Amino acid sequence: MLEIENLHVSVAGKKILDGLSLSVPAGQVAAIMGPNGSGKSTLSYVIAGRADYDVTEGSIRLGGVDLLDKTAAERAALGLFLVFQYPLEIPGVATMTFLKAALNAQRKMRDEAEMAIPDFMKRVREAAARLNIPQDMLKRPVNLGFSGGEKKRMEILQMALLEPRFAILDELDSGLDIDALRICADGVNALRSKERSLLVITHYQRLLDYIVPDVVHVMSEGKIVRSGGPELALELEKSGYADYASEAA
Amino acid sequence: MGAPLKNPTQAEQDFLREFALLLDKAPGDAAERQAAFDRFARAGLPSRRVESWHYSDLRVKLRQASPLAEPPDHVSLDYARAELEKVAAPGALKLVSIDGFFAPDLSDDFSRVAGVEIRPLAALSNDRATLALQADDPLLDLNGAFSPGGLTIEIAAGISLEKPIEIVALCGANGGRSRFSRVHVVLGEGARASLIETRAEGFGGFGDSALLLSLGKAAELDYACRSRDSATVDVQTCVVSLEAGARLCATALVAGAAFLRRQLFVTCAGEKAELHLSAASMLTGQEHADITLVVTHQAPACLSRETFKFVLAEQAEGVFQGKIVVPPQAQKTDGKMVCRGLLLSDDASLQAKPELEIFADDVACGHGAACGKLDANQLFYMESRGIPRPEAQAILIQAFAAEAFDILRDESLRDLLNADLAALLQTGAFA
Ligand SMILES: Nc1ncnc2c1ncn2[C@@H]1O[C@H](COP(=O)(O)OP(=O)(O)O)[C@@H](O)[C@H]1O
Ligand SMILES: [Mg+2]
Repeated sequence: MLEIENLHVSVAGKKILDGLSLSVPAGQVAAIMGPNGSGKSTLSYVIAGRADYDVTEGSIRLGGVDLLDKTAAERAALGLFLVFQYPLEIPGVATMTFLKAALNAQRKMRDEAEMAIPDFMKRVREAAARLNIPQDMLKRPVNLGFSGGEKKRMEILQMALLEPRFAILDELDSGLDIDALRICADGVNALRSKERSLLVITHYQRLLDYIVPDVVHVMSEGKIVRSGGPELALELEKSGYADYASEAA
Repeated sequence: MGAPLKNPTQAEQDFLREFALLLDKAPGDAAERQAAFDRFARAGLPSRRVESWHYSDLRVKLRQASPLAEPPDHVSLDYARAELEKVAAPGALKLVSIDGFFAPDLSDDFSRVAGVEIRPLAALSNDRATLALQADDPLLDLNGAFSPGGLTIEIAAGISLEKPIEIVALCGANGGRSRFSRVHVVLGEGARASLIETRAEGFGGFGDSALLLSLGKAAELDYACRSRDSATVDVQTCVVSLEAGARLCATALVAGAAFLRRQLFVTCAGEKAELHLSAASMLTGQEHADITLVVTHQAPACLSRETFKFVLAEQAEGVFQGKIVVPPQAQKTDGKMVCRGLLLSDDASLQAKPELEIFADDVACGHGAACGKLDANQLFYMESRGIPRPEAQAILIQAFAAEAFDILRDESLRDLLNADLAALLQTGAFA
């Protein structure tokens, strides 16, 4: 599903991803673990199509389609979704308006008809109920004044509504207490399927108790340095990242 | 007769000539007109040396004054009728003017609207008497000298109007004229109404319009100005007086302004009057809009809130000058003024000059001004959800500008301005 080959990325002249390769087949839940500053968020932004990164070498493909010459919006329409580590607040834009704009923009790019408003409302309401999101939160401006947990639940709501085939979750657990984490993880697990792949980025093992990955990759200094099964996460929890850090420094 | 113009510019000489031609045939009191013209002549067209006109040098900008517009003929009437179809707000009671002349043929019949009386506004002295006019302004005087007799809209005490009244200012088929118009809206004690002013006069030339609002005790007015398209040089003056307990919520959506000065002079004349003033100015290309306001808290315990937004693309220039004046007797004044600019290009600019002149000690007043760009993180967030860049930008601009319309109580007016704004953004002029 996602194929990254030899990816080199720098920001403001500083090299952050240094020949990273990664393959996530359809239906797989892959975890990326790594210390702070190893380039995990950068990787997720580059996949999602954020400007102001220089991709100097390598390729990213989703379902065989080269992503690097696509805009962020086009990538979303191709089925890519990023759960932000820090979701943005957008004052003055009601959540419902935002959701409708996103869904219909994607459908338009895929040459699909706009979703009828009653169907749309029904889908949003059902997804909100599953995630314990009160209806009046949907009338408020996007993420404005929401708690950390509310923001992350809203991310999962968007994911449920937009039905991506590849979702990246960047530090879903940051800023969440255990109850909020459980609700979010349940929401994510409900979306696991044979056709949908997930890339779960975290630097704590804790999240992986709730979203159990098929494989675990360890990232350090801009590349994948080790891959293994779920047991690798537990091992890292004990030994820490010290073994992987600063080989080159 | 008359005060001499000192070193008259071509435009000032043009006005002098036109005024001499007009004086005999104009309606109303000739002496009043002459007095207004003399006041104008003493001041002359304001230049950058006049502090309140510093950023909009009319003396330089208005090189010459084009001939006065004539009353509309059939061609103009047809032209305006087609235009009216395009711009009129749905469901409002319309009063239409063409080049400043009232056009009863295009207007609704108010004779059946209970509590509303429409009268010709001929004598200037009426204005001066009913409004404690604090506005000493040469362009208002010029308007008084030239206005071809406007309208008074009187809403009787205690009346609550169901439908909004819409003043529609259109231009005729002949462009490049000088146009003057004047409307006085009077609300009696406790009256409530909604007023829309739709200005679509973009056809070159010079425009100088005046809207006078007198709100009686505890009267309530929602007022939405849609300045869609204005003359090459356009001055809009709004003079307001609020009696005790009156409430005015007034906003404007300004677009298509080649060179526009919109000035508001508000006097809170009675205790506990409430004023909410705002505007969203959407400027692009070489457009220039100057919003200048003076709010005088003449009476104690009045509240005023001013929120002015500017969206500036390409080489557009925005100017905001806001002054809140609080004389010694106006204790317990509560006044807050903010100006916010959204710059969409490095070549666009906003001059913001909020000021407080406070002579009372027990007041809560404040002001602020800030300028920024679209937030790259918010844009990326929206794009990552599949919203293409231009649409994401439009959504953020709409959210920024539409905040100005939140002050309106009448939801239908708010919806109207929001729809205007959305349509404007759809044209891609701000993408
Ligand atoms: N926009 C940027 N400008 C400069 N340095 C950046 C930028 N974004 C990230 N970095 C740097 O790149 C490195 C990797 O950051 P990041 O991808 O956020 O790591 P992680 O998510 O693994 O903690 C860090 O050293 C960080 O300071
Ligand atoms: Mg990170």
